[in-house]
Amino acid sequence: MVDTLNRTHLFEWHKSHGDVVPFAGWEMPVRYSDIREEHMAVREAVGVFDTTHMSRFRISGHDAVDFLQTLTTNNVRKLKPNGGHYSTCLNERGGTKDDLMLYRVGDDEFIWVTNAANGPKIWAHIQEHAARFDVKVEDKSREIVMIAVQGPKALALLSKLAGEDVSALPRFTCNPLTLAGEDCFLCRTGYTGEDGGEILLLDTPYDPTGIKKAVRFWEAILEQGAEFGVKPCGLGARDSTRLEAGFVLYGHELDEDTSPIEARIPYAVKFKVEPHYIGYDVVRRHKKEGVKKTRIGLVMIDRGVPRPDYPIILGGEKIGVVTSGGMSPLLKKGIALGYVPPNTVDVGDIVEVDIRGRHRKAEVTEWPFYDTSRYGATRSSE
Amino acid sequence: MTDDTEVRDGLFYSKEHEWARIEGGLVVVGITDYAQHSLHEITYVELPEVGSDITAGDECGLIESMKASSEVFSPVSGTVIEVNTDLESSPEAVNESPYDDGWMFKVRPSNLDAELDSLMSAEEYRDYIDSL
Repeated sequence: MVDTLNRTHLFEWHKSHGDVVPFAGWEMPVRYSDIREEHMAVREAVGVFDTTHMSRFRISGHDAVDFLQTLTTNNVRKLKPNGGHYSTCLNERGGTKDDLMLYRVGDDEFIWVTNAANGPKIWAHIQEHAARFDVKVEDKSREIVMIAVQGPKALALLSKLAGEDVSALPRFTCNPLTLAGEDCFLCRTGYTGEDGGEILLLDTPYDPTGIKKAVRFWEAILEQGAEFGVKPCGLGARDSTRLEAGFVLYGHELDEDTSPIEARIPYAVKFKVEPHYIGYDVVRRHKKEGVKKTRIGLVMIDRGVPRPDYPIILGGEKIGVVTSGGMSPLLKKGIALGYVPPNTVDVGDIVEVDIRGRHRKAEVTEWPFYDTSRYGATRSSE
Repeated sequence: MTDDTEVRDGLFYSKEHEWARIEGGLVVVGITDYAQHSLHEITYVELPEVGSDITAGDECGLIESMKASSEVFSPVSGTVIEVNTDLESSPEAVNESPYDDGWMFKVRPSNLDAELDSLMSAEEYRDYIDSL
């Protein structure tokens, strides 16, 4: 593949402040300073991430709800205006084409935010099915900049940018607001386990004017955030924070052969919906009759760092495989997500991870991996 | 190669970016400043076992950074007689002091003269990393 890599509006800023690497067809910052420091800024202060590489599709029109309910697994009809939810988009076999955030920004108007790597696939899927419905579908990815602001100080920073208190806005809502003087949607969502928001900076085309606007906006967040200890964060900290929170990552915990029931994200899947979405019968069967594999969490007891594709061993036999793994900056231990057949292990059981031929002990755990009374969106307030 | 990448004179270097230092008949092994800089945040170092025999060019350890795991290859053959156990609690020493506190293991070499011929001098290693 020699395809040209895409760049976000903030590419030049990233290039002059951090290490830029290829990721999912994009040139993105992996770090600005040190992944662990960026990770800890998210856990203890506030971190900002450029997530413009993700795709954003606008779906509108009379049949928007029916159309989206055909393609996605959460209950679209139940989504109120300015509401948002996490969902999945399945193939006919109940495997996952992608996971997504869906925001209802008007009575018949939605924004679908999807993974960068899956953008072209999902856009083709949306266009293919849109023909049967009275809907208008638009790829807004190049006209909206997306920035995540995450951490225990994120709401204080966002309130300062808004000139009003945004902390009362309920989680998952998507609110039209002016931030740093610009028209935005502030979505009370994120991918780190921490409180905060994801900003959709509207009307920001990928041209010199839009790029200037995006950089001005990004720098305003960093300037206004200085008193809260804000740090720009790259993809390294994005991955380490989501792993510590136990969130699935497409291509690792989710793929076309894995259902959301197997991935244990049941909150993304509803069954009292009409019409039935593609893949409905398969995931309903998974829910009622059980699955052949299920996601588990692992914390290393022995030293060593689990990585994708390392075998999970029980009683000398390979029972499963690690799908994501790394060193947790909070636990200072290796942590992992992986798949095993159901009912082979329980939380608290000890298994082994085959780390390049060396069998190392790990405990089966739930997620998030951190102490939720001290870290994450539901931490006890100080 | 950036100006602040250190290549220390008097050491022998491998293409896999390990260094070897002759010290009283033993060989001390670590990874270069160039290597630690490209790995970034080192979080864990797996070292060979004391007493084990290792062969030049073979994997004998593992370095974990936040983003990836990388194998360590021994630049020389011989018997491991000591490992840097401080790296268990302070793997960041490899980032901070790759030629001193971040040393990894010591080997009693079994075929040193022949193997040194296949390693690079500091000058050759500087040219090598400039060419990468």
